[in-house]
Amino acid sequence: MSENDPGELLTDLSRLRRRTRAARHGYWFPLVLFGVLGCAAAPLYLASAASVPAGPGGYQTSNTGPILLGGMSMGQDGFYIGWYWTVALIAGFLLTVLWYRRSASRAGVRTPSRGYVITGIVLTVLAVVLPPLSRAVPGLFLVWAPAGDAWVRGTLAFLIIAVGLWVLVRAERSPALAVIALAYTAAATAASLYNVENLLFRLGWNPASSPFGWDWTVLPDILLPALVLLACGLGALLAQRLRRPA
Amino acid sequence: MTHPTNGLDETVHQRHRLGILTIAAEARAEFSYLRDALDLTPGNLSRHLTVLEEAGLIKVDKGYHGRRPRTWVRITRPGRAALAAEIAALTELLRRHATTSGTEADEGGES
Repeated sequence: MSENDPGELLTDLSRLRRRTRAARHGYWFPLVLFGVLGCAAAPLYLASAASVPAGPGGYQTSNTGPILLGGMSMGQDGFYIGWYWTVALIAGFLLTVLWYRRSASRAGVRTPSRGYVITGIVLTVLAVVLPPLSRAVPGLFLVWAPAGDAWVRGTLAFLIIAVGLWVLVRAERSPALAVIALAYTAAATAASLYNVENLLFRLGWNPASSPFGWDWTVLPDILLPALVLLACGLGALLAQRLRRPA
Repeated sequence: MTHPTNGLDETVHQRHRLGILTIAAEARAEFSYLRDALDLTPGNLSRHLTVLEEAGLIKVDKGYHGRRPRTWVRITRPGRAALAAEIAALTELLRRHATTSGTEADEGGES
């Protein structure tokens, strides 16, 4: 580094900052991990839809298990969706912290990931305990019930992942991750507030002609945010490999 | 108005110490990363770290990764402020230098 010329010194410092930032970036891992966990949840949603008995009395809502994470799933297997997401989210956030620690000991620079894991786990625990707690404290119902559109489809887990991602954007200080977080938040919000399968119908998709028939209609809401995460995570991994010298 | 060189801190205004603060402001950094990034010998780096730590600009945490001893460096709040002040002073110096060079060039062109 040059000592006396302020211009050269500032340029050198910028280069050091960029190099350090690139060395500590490791956000591809949580993106791929939660993308895989999202895709792995798809069979549960499919089973939940398939377990709806035929006829007008078939639409039963699952009232057991973590309701906010499982949503008002139709049929008996909706029970498992909530428990799946409880375990998957907590495991995912903890694995991400372990990943950042391992990555730090290898690279020599550490991305602060504590805020990310705390945010993710606190939101997950709140989603699990609020409904049962509301039986003891009736007023508490007013906190989560009005936001029904956000959790009724069983996609709240994707919104929790989105909040965590924004905390990670701040820790990673990465404009690329901010763009990914924006795209993912849009996908997760669309999947939570809108039936994404409607778009596919308009594009000519006809689930009735598939082996699972109309049960497939539950999948677009799940696969849209999961595949956005997976694609962005794999893209980030590839970009990181190409950027770093061998 | 004071000259921007008055904003330069003797402790910080040294290229390697400025480099250490810049890296530490970006992330908690390990001793070997700093050594490689700044191309310093371990002894030299240790001396710079001691100066910065005594000035309260960084914190040095020693620990182990398995059996290997590890030294991690993190910037403190005064360290972050000192780095920002130094960058601001350097930027101002650069701006003044550009202005002066421009004026001199104009005067040279007129004569």
